[in-house]
Amino acid sequence: MDRCSHPNCFADDNTTCTLGHIRLDMCPEWRCVSKGAVTATSDSDQMSLPWSGLAMGESDLNFISGKVKPITVGIIGPENAGKTTILGAFYLLLGRGTLTTDANPFSNSYTLAGWEAVATCLRWKPGQPPRFPPHTPSGAARAPGMLHLGFRCEDGSLRDLLFADAPGEWFQKWAINEQAADAEGARWIARHADVTLLIADRQALAGPKMGAARNDFQLLAQRAVAGARGRRLALVWTKGDVEVAPAMKAQIRKAVASVSSSVPEFTVSVSPLGQGDAAEDFRKLFGWILCTKRAGVDLPTTEASGHDPLFRFGRR
Amino acid sequence: MAAQHTILLVGESNVGKTHYGAQFLKRLMVKGGALKMSGAPTNLEAFTTALSCLSEGKSTDHTPANIYVESVWPISDEAGRYAELVWPDYGGEQVRNLVTQRRIPAAWHERVLEATDWVLLIRLHSLRSEDDLFSRPLQSFAAAALEEEAPAYEPSDQARTVELLQMLLYLAHFHLDRPLQKPRLTILLSCWDELETTELPADLLASRLPMLWSFVRSNWTSPTVIGLSALERALSKTDADQEYAIRGPEEFGYVVLPDGVKDSDITLPIQRLMADGT
Repeated sequence: MDRCSHPNCFADDNTTCTLGHIRLDMCPEWRCVSKGAVTATSDSDQMSLPWSGLAMGESDLNFISGKVKPITVGIIGPENAGKTTILGAFYLLLGRGTLTTDANPFSNSYTLAGWEAVATCLRWKPGQPPRFPPHTPSGAARAPGMLHLGFRCEDGSLRDLLFADAPGEWFQKWAINEQAADAEGARWIARHADVTLLIADRQALAGPKMGAARNDFQLLAQRAVAGARGRRLALVWTKGDVEVAPAMKAQIRKAVASVSSSVPEFTVSVSPLGQGDAAEDFRKLFGWILCTKRAGVDLPTTEASGHDPLFRFGRR
Repeated sequence: MAAQHTILLVGESNVGKTHYGAQFLKRLMVKGGALKMSGAPTNLEAFTTALSCLSEGKSTDHTPANIYVESVWPISDEAGRYAELVWPDYGGEQVRNLVTQRRIPAAWHERVLEATDWVLLIRLHSLRSEDDLFSRPLQSFAAAALEEEAPAYEPSDQARTVELLQMLLYLAHFHLDRPLQKPRLTILLSCWDELETTELPADLLASRLPMLWSFVRSNWTSPTVIGLSALERALSKTDADQEYAIRGPEEFGYVVLPDGVKDSDITLPIQRLMADGT
C-alpha cells in the first residue's frame, strides 16, 4: 500500500494515522497519496481524537509519554512462539478483572481496539472455538506496534506500560545480523525496552527441529542479553504444557545466564496444565512486569554549597 | 440565580433513557419525591409521547437516532436548593457512533463541556457475556486453521464503554493524572428488575464488568452506582398494562441505592448529585 506523505505518519503499517483519522480516506494527507480513490466527504463540523485505539506507532507515543516516560516491555522471540498470545491472555485477564490486584487497578488504555484485536481469537464465539492469534504481519517498519495500558499506583500516580508486539522475523534476522536492514524494529526494541521478555518456545524445543530451535534461541538470547545491558530481563517459557528434555532446559538456561546469573523464569500456557490454574501463571508474569521501576536519576554529588541541583555546577 | 445542573446523560440505545426521563418528569410534576418542580418546565415536548404511552400502560417507541432535544426543568429539593435541570433525550445510536466512528460532532463536544454531572446508563441484561480461554479452557487446541484474513469482530462491551468514557474525559479536558472529583459520575444500572438480583449495585457492576469498574474506580474519587428500574416491570408497546392505566405510572419504578436500600423515589440519583454538588 502507498505510504502516507506525512513525515510522522505510518498509517500504511497498521498503526494510527498521526492526524487521528480512523478512516484513512477521510485524512487529507492520505487522500493526496491515494488520488482517484473514492473519498468520503469530510465534515469540518466534527472533531477527531488524537488516538484511534489501534496499536500505536513510534510518533503516537508522544501522546502517552508526554508527562512521564512509560515503561516499554519488549517481547523477544522467534516466529510462532506465542508472543501475541501472551498479550491476548493479559488482556483477557484484564477484562475479567483478575490481571492485577486492587492495589494497582487498571486506569486507562489508548489502544483498546488493538488489544481487542489480539484477544478476540482467544474468545469463544458462536460456532467457533478459540484459536491462536494470526501471525503478526511484518513490514519494514522502524518501530513495532505498541499496546498501551495504564495502572493507578497506590500513591495515586499513574504507571503506563507499553507492550511492543513485533513479528518474530525481525528477531530472527536481528539474531543473525545485528545490523540487518529489515531488523530496525528489533533494534528499536532492544534500545528502548525497560523490560525484556525472552521467549523460549517449548513446543519448538521439543519438536522435530529442536536442534535448530535451540541454536536460534542461543543466538537470540546472546543478542537480547547484551542489548538489555542490565535492564530487567526474564526468561518466559511458552506452551508450558509441552514437556522439554531436562538437558535442553539446561542449555536454554545457560544461554540466558551467560551474563547475569539471576534471570527470573516464568512458564505460561493457555492450555490448562492439569494441576495449576492457567491464569495464575500469566498473573505472576504480569505482576513481575508491573513492579518494574524506572531507574531514578542519580544526581552527581558535588561539593557546591548550594542545595539547588540547578546550580550545582555553576560555582567553582 | 439558580445553580444550573446540566446532566450529561449517556446511554446507548435501548437502555431506557426516555422512560427514565418521562418517569422522572412525572415524579417532579406530582411532587412526590425528594425533588419537586418549582414553576413550570419550559418545554415538555421531548417527553409528551412517552408520558402518554406510560399513562396508558404501554412502553414508548424507540427515540429516532438523529434526535437530540433538551428540556429545562426548574427544580428544588427539600433543603430549598433551586436548580435548573437540563435533561436530554436522544437516540442512543449517537453514543455508539461516537465510539465506532470516532468523529465527535461539535454539538456533542459542547454538551460534554457544559455538563456538570455525568450519568451513565448501563443495561447489564443486554450485554453479552463472552467465554474465553480462561473461563472455558480448550482441552485440545485444534491446529490453527490457516485463515490469514483478519476475522471480523466487535469490541467487547467493556472496551466500548471504557473507550466512550475516555473520549468524554478527553473532550471535557480532564486528565487522569489524579483521580477526579469532578465531573461527578453516577452509573445507573437500568432495568434492574430484569436482573433479579439482591447484590449491591456496585458489587454487581464489579462482577459483571470488572474492567469498566476498575477504570471508574481508579479514575474517580467517589463514583456512585445505583440500580434503576424506571418502569418496575416490562411493558408492551401494544397491550396496555391495566394496573398502570389505573394507578398511573408515578406509582411504579424504584431505585436501589448504593447501600442496597430500595426506594420508590427515582429522583434520588439526581438529588444526591445536587446535595453533594455545591
